[in-house]
Parts: sequence; C-alpha cells; structure tokens
Amino acid sequence: MAGATRPRTVGERVADTDPSVGRILLVAAGALFWGWLVVSWVNRWLGGVIAPVGEPLVAPDAVEGALAAVPGLAAVAPDVAFVVGLTPTLAQGTWLTVVITGASLVCGFFIAVPLAVARVYGRFSAWLSLGYTELLRGTPLLAQLFVLYYGLNLAASVPAALSGVFPRDVVWVAILGFTLNGAAYQAEYIRGAVESVDEGQITAGRAIGLSKLESIYYVVLPQALRYAIPSWTNEFVYLIKYSSLAGFITVPELYYLANRVATETFRYTTVFLVLGAMYLALVLTASKFMERVDDRVAIPGLGADRER
Amino acid sequence: MSAPGSLALAAADSLGALAPSTAAGETPLTAATVGSVSESIDWWLVGDPADWWFVLRNVDYLGGGLLLTVGLTVASILLGFLVGFPAGAVEVYGDGRWKRLVETVGVVLRGTPIVVILLVIYFVVGVPQVNLGIGSISPAVSAGIAGLGLRSAAYQSQIFRAALGSVDDGQLEAGRAVGLSRFESIRYVVVPQALRRSIPGFQNEFTIVLKDTSIVFAIGLAELLTRGYDLFTQQTTAVLEVILFISGIYFVLTFTTNRALDYLGTRYAIPEGEST
Amino acid sequence: MSDDVFLRVNDVSKWYGDEQVLDEVSFEMDRSDVTVLIGPSGSGKSTMLRCVNRLAEAQEGSITLDGEEVLSPDTDVDRLRREVGMVFQSFNLFAHLSALGNVALGPRRVLGLSAAEARERATSQLERVGLADQLESYPAELSGGQQQRVGIARALAMEPKLMLFDEPTSALDPELIGEVLEVMRALVDEGMTMLVVTHEMSFARAVADEVVFLDDGRVVERGPPEQLFERPEKERTGRFLERIASHD
Repeated sequence: MAGATRPRTVGERVADTDPSVGRILLVAAGALFWGWLVVSWVNRWLGGVIAPVGEPLVAPDAVEGALAAVPGLAAVAPDVAFVVGLTPTLAQGTWLTVVITGASLVCGFFIAVPLAVARVYGRFSAWLSLGYTELLRGTPLLAQLFVLYYGLNLAASVPAALSGVFPRDVVWVAILGFTLNGAAYQAEYIRGAVESVDEGQITAGRAIGLSKLESIYYVVLPQALRYAIPSWTNEFVYLIKYSSLAGFITVPELYYLANRVATETFRYTTVFLVLGAMYLALVLTASKFMERVDDRVAIPGLGADRER
Repeated sequence: MSAPGSLALAAADSLGALAPSTAAGETPLTAATVGSVSESIDWWLVGDPADWWFVLRNVDYLGGGLLLTVGLTVASILLGFLVGFPAGAVEVYGDGRWKRLVETVGVVLRGTPIVVILLVIYFVVGVPQVNLGIGSISPAVSAGIAGLGLRSAAYQSQIFRAALGSVDDGQLEAGRAVGLSRFESIRYVVVPQALRRSIPGFQNEFTIVLKDTSIVFAIGLAELLTRGYDLFTQQTTAVLEVILFISGIYFVLTFTTNRALDYLGTRYAIPEGEST
Repeated sequence: MSDDVFLRVNDVSKWYGDEQVLDEVSFEMDRSDVTVLIGPSGSGKSTMLRCVNRLAEAQEGSITLDGEEVLSPDTDVDRLRREVGMVFQSFNLFAHLSALGNVALGPRRVLGLSAAEARERATSQLERVGLADQLESYPAELSGGQQQRVGIARALAMEPKLMLFDEPTSALDPELIGEVLEVMRALVDEGMTMLVVTHEMSFARAVADEVVFLDDGRVVERGPPEQLFERPEKERTGRFLERIASHD
C-alpha cells in the first residue's frame, strides 16, 4: 500500500467526506465559531482595532433590527440580540478555558509519561505511581481544587514571576489542579498503551546495546504514544468540560462568566443553552482535531488494525 | 433540604454539649497540650488537632451529606442504566431516525460539562418536586438525579454499544438458527454476554458518577462536599482538615466500589473469557 | 586460561526457579567459526544463546568472549550487546520505524553516529541483505522473509564480532526460508563468527564447523557435522535426527 503512507491532499480529503447537508452546516458553524473567537481575541490584544474592547463585533441593535424585519424570526430577535451582546464576555471566558485546558494537558502529559513508565517498569516507583493515580482518581476533582484553593490557600503564594500573567492569580491554582489530576488519568491511558507494546520490542532494543531507559524512550514510547491517542482524546475532552469547575474557585473562565451573567440578568435559559453550545463546539473541535492527528501519525500495522 | 441539615446540626450541638463546648473545649487542647503534643506528632499529622476535633464533632452533619451522595449516585446510575442500555441497543440494532436521534443526544450530553447540564435542567427545564408518598424529593434533588443520570446514560450507552458490538455476529445467527426471533436472540444470547463484557466500563462509570455528585454543589444540594464547604466557611481554620476528611470518605467509597465490582467481574466472568 | 579461543562456554548452568534449564554446558568457538546448536524444543538452546549476550543470566559457569568474562558482574552489558548481534525468531522489528529506521537506530543512538552517517550505514547494510528497494517500508508492509533480513541488517549495522541467530527461520512460511538462509550463507562466506540455533539441518550440515546437540539442558554430543549427522555416537542424537528427518 504505497498510498497509505502518502499524505493526502486537502482536495482528496474533501472529496472523501460525506457531502451531506448536515455535515456542511456543521463545518460552516465550526468555521463561524472559530472565526468569531479568533477575531475577538485578536481585537482584544490589539486594543480594539475592529470594535472597542468589550463591545460585540456586530452591534446588537443592528442584529435585532435586521431580524425583526424577517417574518418568522422576529420573535427570537431580542434573544439573539442579547446573545450578541454577550459575545465579548463569552470570547473572553473561552480564552481562559482554552488556555487552562491546553496548559494543564501539556504539563500533565510530562508528568504522566514518567508515571506510566514507572508503573510498568519500576519496582518501588511502581507503587508510588500507583498510589498517586489511585488517590487522584479516587477523589473528586472539585475537592482537589478546594484543597489547593481553600485548604492550602495557594492563590496567595503564586511566585512573583508568574503573578500577573492572568487577570487573577487563582488561574495558576486551577492549572496546577488540572495538571495534577489530569496527569493521573493520562498516566492510566498511557500505561495501558505501554503494556500493549510487545515485549520483544524492548528485548530487541536491549540486544543492539540500548540501555533499558533508552529502549523505553526510543522504542516503546514512540509506539505506545500512538496507541494512546484515542483514549488520550477522551482525557482532552474531559479536561475541556471539567475546566468549568475552575469557576468554583473564582477563575473567570467561560462557565464562571456565563453563570454570573445569568444570575445578574435572570436569563438562565438563553445563557445556559448558549454556554452548553459553546462547550459542545470546543469538545467537537478537539475530538475532530485528534482524529486528524491520529490519521496523520498512523503507521502501517500499528494501532487500530492491530487490536482486532 | 433544610430539615435533615438542621437535624444534623442539632445532633452536632448535643455532641458539643456532651463534650466541652467549642470555645472552652479548645483552650486546654490548644494552649498547653497541643504545644507539646504537636511537637511530637507534627511530622505526620497534617493540620491542627483542634480543627480535627471540630471535624469529628460534625461527623453526623457530614454523614447526612454522605447519605445524599450515595443516594444520588445509586439513583443516577440506575436512571443511567434504564435509559442508557436501550440507547446503546438502538445504536447497535436500530436504524434510521431513531438511531440518529439517540446518537445526536448522546453527543450533546457527552460534550457538555456536567455543571452546565445540571444548571440547564434545574433552571431551564425545571424539574418539579416529586412526591413519593413516603416523602418528597425536592426539585434540586430531582434535577441532580436527572442531570447526573442522563449524562451517565449517554456514557453507559457507549459502554453497552461497544459490548453488544463485540459479541460475534455468529451468536445472533446461531440464535436465529435454533428458532429464536431476532429480538429473542438478542435478549437471550447477545445481551447476557454483552452485560458481562461491560463490567469494566461500568465500573469506571460508577466511580465517575460518584465523584461528580460533588458538582451538584452548583445547584445548592447539601451533599458531602457542599456540607464540607458549609463547615469550613463556619470555622475557616479547619478548611484543610475538612476537605481532607471528606476526600478520604470519597476515596474509601470509590475504592470499595471498585473492589466490589472487581469481585463481581471475576464472579460472573465466563470461563476462558475473552483475552484482552 | 589465556588462550586464543574466541568464545569459550564453560560449565554454564541456569535455573528458572527449581527447574534447571542448562546443566554444565560447555563448547568453544574460534574466530570465523560457525557453531550450530540443535535439539528438541525446550532443550535450552535459546536460553544458552541468550546467556551469551546476557538477555538471560546464567547462574553458574563462565563464558569468555574475546578474552573477557561475560558473566562477571563488572561487565558492561550494554557494550557487550553492542559487540554481539542478535537475530530473533519473531524478528522483533521496531514496529514504528521503517526498515531504514530499524537499522539506523543502533548506529545513531548507541554508537553515536550522525543522522547522515547512520542513514548511510543502514542503507548499505540493507543493500547487503538485498533490500535496497524497501528502505522506507514499515515492518507490517514487508513479508516475513524480508522482515527477518531487516533484522539481520539491524544486527550487522552494529559491526558485531559475533552474531547470534535464535531460530531465524522458524516463524517463516516454507517458501520464505530460502532467502534468509541465503543471506546467512553469504555471511558465513564473509567470515562472520556465528552461533546459530536452528532446525534447518541441511543448512547446519552445509556451513557448520561444529554442531552441538543439546537435550534437557545438557550437551549430549558435539562434533563436526559430517560426524554428528552420519555417525552419531549417542543413541539420543540418532533418535532426534531421525525424528527431524521424518518431518522434512
């Protein structure tokens, strides 16, 4: 199969996809969503070149007027205008949600790999690793955030170098919490993948003179991390969703800001439905993205078709 | 909500009356004894003995929260099973509109944070008070069960879908061949095998629901974590002690459920079961 | 015992728990010798082979390779394995690397060659085993015979002074065995020192300088192939050879 290793062109990918109406709509919605987010963020960093900071990109009044003129849509015009008015807040909160998720995922990964390796190949360290993952996976994430925030009052002891990077220092506490928690879950997924790598692989590595650690690094991990991608995607999705718990320790991320607007305006229905849709869009993007990554790094004979 | 809460508080008060009351009781501990005691035990005891004492005095109050946590978990898992199992079956054996509907609802429920699901059900859908004759379930509790239960159903459907899908097609054919209808073949041949295979996934789901009951904090339900929060806002020096204590309870709960389900898994395993 | 014997295996014994798998095994080889270990499965041949590069640990006895004691606790095991190539029954190719990547990994990471040098060396080794046209193929895209030839090239790329072959053709379909044996014959002609575990008796007969028959972890009989195959001294050797012959 020469074709299997050749990267596919964009044209081929589009041709491959099912051209149903629903799919096209979904792709269009995704493009609109990310376009809006990126333009909003850029606008904010550049100090409001497109629209004043804190103002929607499109004036809510104009939207309401336009919709009111369309028969059948007039009834929802005020709600839509309200949502448009919310967009700067939503974009701002999403930024923090994305940053917290991304940072925690990456930091957690670098803790998870040694944890997983220790669990499989270590002796004493295997027990340490087991203890860590069991403890972190056995208690609620919210309780862990409470320990860091209320119990240890870490927000007050953020190092000077990190302080002030985010609107509130408590963001660092959230990142720490999600990193420590996510590391435990990621370690479980990676451990499963490491165990699925054939033992002969490490023997072959040792036979050409690699040390045990080198064999793990050059031979086992490159394979294991590819196996781990599908389950690791779950952790990515979980983290996006559970980053909302940062709101409980006053991190002004997406859920926190939306919840505040809802209680201030009493428009629970609109706000919470929009909030749900926002998270859904983030989650769907993440899983589609990881599917692409999985395809990209696929190696003939490794992964999915091997498991059966 | 308030009734069990005040009961537990009353119980805590009576405990307090038996033992020396808060202010008086702390003095001998903190002033003289603790100074010397803490030097010898400091290295392993996290926190302040007086604050641990505060936690112990309120154990009944936390116990009430624990009951709600366990109740929520069991009810949500049951609801999740009752909805999730048929949903998983529809995803495997259904066709057309129903299958697409179930899949879409599943994607939405799995793609939304549990806290948002809870808020939507509580504020938007508005679950009413449920009367059960022996007592009533408050709107917040029913919203908690509905939210956790439906979200769990979305995940359980995936567990059962995978398990049903993993049963060899030949099993269904063999069922048909001995004269069972399609439904009977599924019911008597495929489902019993699939249920056994879904135990590991189910185990995972159980602990997730258990831990996520803590998030009903968002709709003000006085379960374990919320009660812990109430306690440490009352006595702010005891924050760490309270949270570590309730974390310990959660850990014991997840640990024992996991071991119990492990046991169940080996007990009902089919001899020479599938190699993993 | 300073002598010019290249590999001396002396009274090597090994146990797995209570079970003795090697019982005072002894044999020796000179440089450029080819020694073939034969015997029924479970006789300890593969274990003996693995003791030489310490993928298995012998508990008693001594193995000297090129004047150095292999079993000494001071031996640098990684260096030993660098100098002793090994080919596995199940190939054990690195599944995530192309043929070229498989062969280049050792030179690059163990010998510390530059990426370009390692690539060059890997290319020439793959040419040597007749796979110049499969450099970029992944293991799963190659036939068993091709995979095993990559395995041989991978070992050769370390420029070993001794090659160990652990039943290199046992996992292959009959029609693919020939291409691997051909590569091995070419190595014999080049003067490579080889210790081979195999059931390919015609190969052993054709190229071996000495054949060692192991049964139950003991050396039953050893000698030049013509003697061992034509006039076995021990009855067990004869029975084993007959059984093998009837399967061929």
